[in-house]
Amino acid sequence: MNVVLALVALLLFPGVLFLVTASLAYEYVDRKLVARFQNRVGPRWFQPLADFIKLLVKEEIVPDGVNRGLFNGLPLAALAGALTAGLYVPMAGLAPSWGFRGDLVATVYLLMMMTLCIGLAGANTQDRFSLVGAVRALTQLFSYEAPFLLALLGPAIAAGSWRIAEVNGWAREHPWMILTQPLGFIVALIGLMGKLELPPFDAPEAETEIVSGALTEYSGRGLAFFRLGRDIELLIGLTLISAFYLGGLGSPLQFLGKTLALLFVTAALQSLFARLRIDQTVGLWWRTGAVLALVQLLVLIALRMIGVSL
Amino acid sequence: MLNDVVVSMFRRPFTELYPYRVKPAPDRLRGKLLWDESKCDGCKLCVRDCPARAIEVEVIDRAANRYAYHYHLDRCIYCAQCVVSCPHHALSMSRTLYHLASTDKASFVEVYRAAGAGTCQEEEPIP
Amino acid sequence: MSAADLSRIQGALAPWLTGSRLASDTRLDMETPAENLLAAVTAFRGLAWGYLSAITGLDGLGPAAGPSASEAAPGGAPAQGSASQHGTLGSIEVLYQFCQGPCLATLRVRVPRDRAEVPSISGAVPSAVLFERELSEMLGVHVTGLPGGKRQFLPDDWPPNVFPLRKDFLVESAAPVADSAPSVGSGEAPGTFIVPIGPQHPALKEPGHFEFAVDGEIITGASIRLGYVHRGIEKAAEDRSWVQGLYLVERICGICSHIHATAYALGVEALAGMTIPPRGQAIRTLLCELERIHSHLLWLGVAAHEAGFDTLFMFSWRDRETVMDLLEQLTGNRVNYAANLIGGVKYEIDAPAADAIRRGMDYLEGRARHYLKIVTTDESFLRRTRGVGTISREMSERFGTVGPTARASGVPTDLRAAAPYAAYGQFPVTPVVDQRCDQEARFVVRVRELSECFRVVREILDRLPPGDLSIPAPRKVAEGEAVSRVEAPRGELFYYLRSTGGVKPDRVKVRTPSLCNWAAVVNVVIGQKLADVPVILAGIDPCFSCNDRSLTLRRRGKTGAGGVETWSWEDLRTYGIRWYGGGRS
Repeated sequence: MNVVLALVALLLFPGVLFLVTASLAYEYVDRKLVARFQNRVGPRWFQPLADFIKLLVKEEIVPDGVNRGLFNGLPLAALAGALTAGLYVPMAGLAPSWGFRGDLVATVYLLMMMTLCIGLAGANTQDRFSLVGAVRALTQLFSYEAPFLLALLGPAIAAGSWRIAEVNGWAREHPWMILTQPLGFIVALIGLMGKLELPPFDAPEAETEIVSGALTEYSGRGLAFFRLGRDIELLIGLTLISAFYLGGLGSPLQFLGKTLALLFVTAALQSLFARLRIDQTVGLWWRTGAVLALVQLLVLIALRMIGVSL
Repeated sequence: MLNDVVVSMFRRPFTELYPYRVKPAPDRLRGKLLWDESKCDGCKLCVRDCPARAIEVEVIDRAANRYAYHYHLDRCIYCAQCVVSCPHHALSMSRTLYHLASTDKASFVEVYRAAGAGTCQEEEPIP
Repeated sequence: MSAADLSRIQGALAPWLTGSRLASDTRLDMETPAENLLAAVTAFRGLAWGYLSAITGLDGLGPAAGPSASEAAPGGAPAQGSASQHGTLGSIEVLYQFCQGPCLATLRVRVPRDRAEVPSISGAVPSAVLFERELSEMLGVHVTGLPGGKRQFLPDDWPPNVFPLRKDFLVESAAPVADSAPSVGSGEAPGTFIVPIGPQHPALKEPGHFEFAVDGEIITGASIRLGYVHRGIEKAAEDRSWVQGLYLVERICGICSHIHATAYALGVEALAGMTIPPRGQAIRTLLCELERIHSHLLWLGVAAHEAGFDTLFMFSWRDRETVMDLLEQLTGNRVNYAANLIGGVKYEIDAPAADAIRRGMDYLEGRARHYLKIVTTDESFLRRTRGVGTISREMSERFGTVGPTARASGVPTDLRAAAPYAAYGQFPVTPVVDQRCDQEARFVVRVRELSECFRVVREILDRLPPGDLSIPAPRKVAEGEAVSRVEAPRGELFYYLRSTGGVKPDRVKVRTPSLCNWAAVVNVVIGQKLADVPVILAGIDPCFSCNDRSLTLRRRGKTGAGGVETWSWEDLRTYGIRWYGGGRS
């Protein structure tokens, strides 16, 4: 791939420009849907963009006692991780710009970077609650990440590949895996919500626009980047899950339809429950979520062994 | 909860789209105070009873019953005690004049002058 | 019950009293010197009668020689009683007011102003602590043996030995003192992890400061600091005429504004010996019930929000709009209805209004049933509320909780039934009591009270008495004292009014229900998880504005000293939500 195409891919599509625009649009849709579920009007289409710009122009206050390099660099790292992950998924239904064997794991890891950065950012500031919030964020990371990865593994095993593009292609030709691996789908979707800290798993970020927890001390640019990173992750997460479980993404129309449908479900889950029925917190999620994913995998492997192709 | 949420999807949002759509205010809305100079006799009961000291009555000519009525919109708490206290029913609270916010402090002192006959302030037409 | 009980008390306490008289069959007035106070109170508590409703401090310095002996019961004629020497110039009086149903037994202690000292009764009556703190800060009565040394109501930089409620207080003397030690700090041993919350809360409606000493997740100590929205209303009322004061007290609180105005009006009308026309009284009561509906729906949303159930918050507040629109239609304003007059009400309820109210009640009744189902069956909700923050009946009575908080602990206290005021005699209310004592019970009690409100509203509309809305009020109100106790949405609201025969009140004392409930909260959180704290705090339906109304606030309180962490309320709330639905460290 020559340099020009690479630059286009990096900066325009599916690079920065497209990812940022699309993720802001998806944030709008999410907020609008949740509002409509709550019988409210919701924001106008440019609200997420306005929020982003507003945060950028605000004064950035660096608290005492933090490592300035980390403080300023972590939001960038989080954003970078999220953006980079976008290069490997079938964004807008077109083939991923780059790919290599095992890029599924790499992408999941890149998505994880966001939460790691939030955790580090919280630990960096001297505010004791940020520290506690950071610990919470990291703990939540450990609880949802493993089942999430396992749930994404299911389709990978079915497709026989660790490469997202190949799994996507396989999914397009076979029955939708939401039907053949329902448990995996549920775990993946809930795992995504946990990763994104959406209600009912709202961890350091509150439902209102007031941020607390690990991001308490952030303002201005840093906060803008963290929030943008989260929106991008939402987009990428939805893309991944629709690609894997909803029969692959072959065209922009399929992309729009499937990801928006998934977003609808996510928004509904956000408003329907205060919290999901998780009585024990991390322990139970490890038990239920991971077990479900494992069971799904075992079934899958067993079926493959007896020759049934799913 | 599921019921509420599902039904909400198909219902118009409950939010009022103010200021694009302004609902008419109820009849008893306690908006700006209006003074009917033809009924006022300068007894100053309203001044005495006002909890916020928002009213001053300036005597121009007591024999001819001519007064100027100083009303501080920013001090008024819109309780309508003056309306009740006035034995001559010279006071009322507007139903339409309630968009009283302003960045100009001077506009908060309304001086109703007995210029002749009738009230000094016209009510806006009720939509 | 009443007269016999009161005589019994009179007899039992006689050894320590210097004087006593039965002002009416519901009023007992007793005097005791400061040195006998503790013994008298201990003996009183031994009779297991009533609870301490308020401690009122009065400054005797004034134009007249003090009040006559007659105390008026709200809604009734002033009682007969022999005059006695009260309020000689230069002395401060402290009234310990114990109540049971409609009966009020007052222990008066008179102390010289230059050596104003009384012993603390908090040993015998734990709920007295906050009252005594207020007494000592506002009137400068030194309460010996009062536990805890922090200021609660005055700002930290208030100069010492300046007592706002004294008659000789000059505003100029209250210049802030620099470098004063902050009163926050729970006094825990160093090394304890302190989690202070507030006073700056971006998400909290009103500022307040709580400090929790935690060991891991479990709370080992708690303390509160109020006073951040102190506005000096009691003092301000002394400088305004009786009718002006009506609108002043209405603004003590936004959600219970009408009940404050009602209590005040009832007290003034009792002092002035006025009989309100029944229609006026009934409309007043109707508005009280509508306000209660409004308050409970608001609380439901807020408590759901604290527990992370935002959708329920949105829906309950949407339904609240129904009752607010009704109130706007009836009175012209959504909050601060200004419907009361001294002598009745301003606003008539005509047939279209009555129809609108009925329609509103029908709609809300369906919604209330829906919310009751959610509150009792939603699993995630129950996990936050069942078995959480249990205030046993014994604890509730010991700490003097009032209102739905007490009723959820099985204490059947509801002034609308026990001591009917306004029109509650003609339109009786059945108290809603729950025995389970936990957070869930508090939800259930309030939601079921909504249904009771709907019923009472409909009944008042059906049988609204004909007649006038109000009678004219005198400018000067006769000398005397009046106590009016009403059931605010949060519990018993206590008003003490004293007149020296002039155009302005001599003393207006307001004891709000939230003040009674704080003591219980501070004690019940110990042993609970930190994540449960927002829900427990929301469970008593705290109204900070109601608590802080005794002083002109010069400066807001500062945050805690360096080295102590500050969580915002939002932080604590999300902590709780995550604890239950997300991750836990």
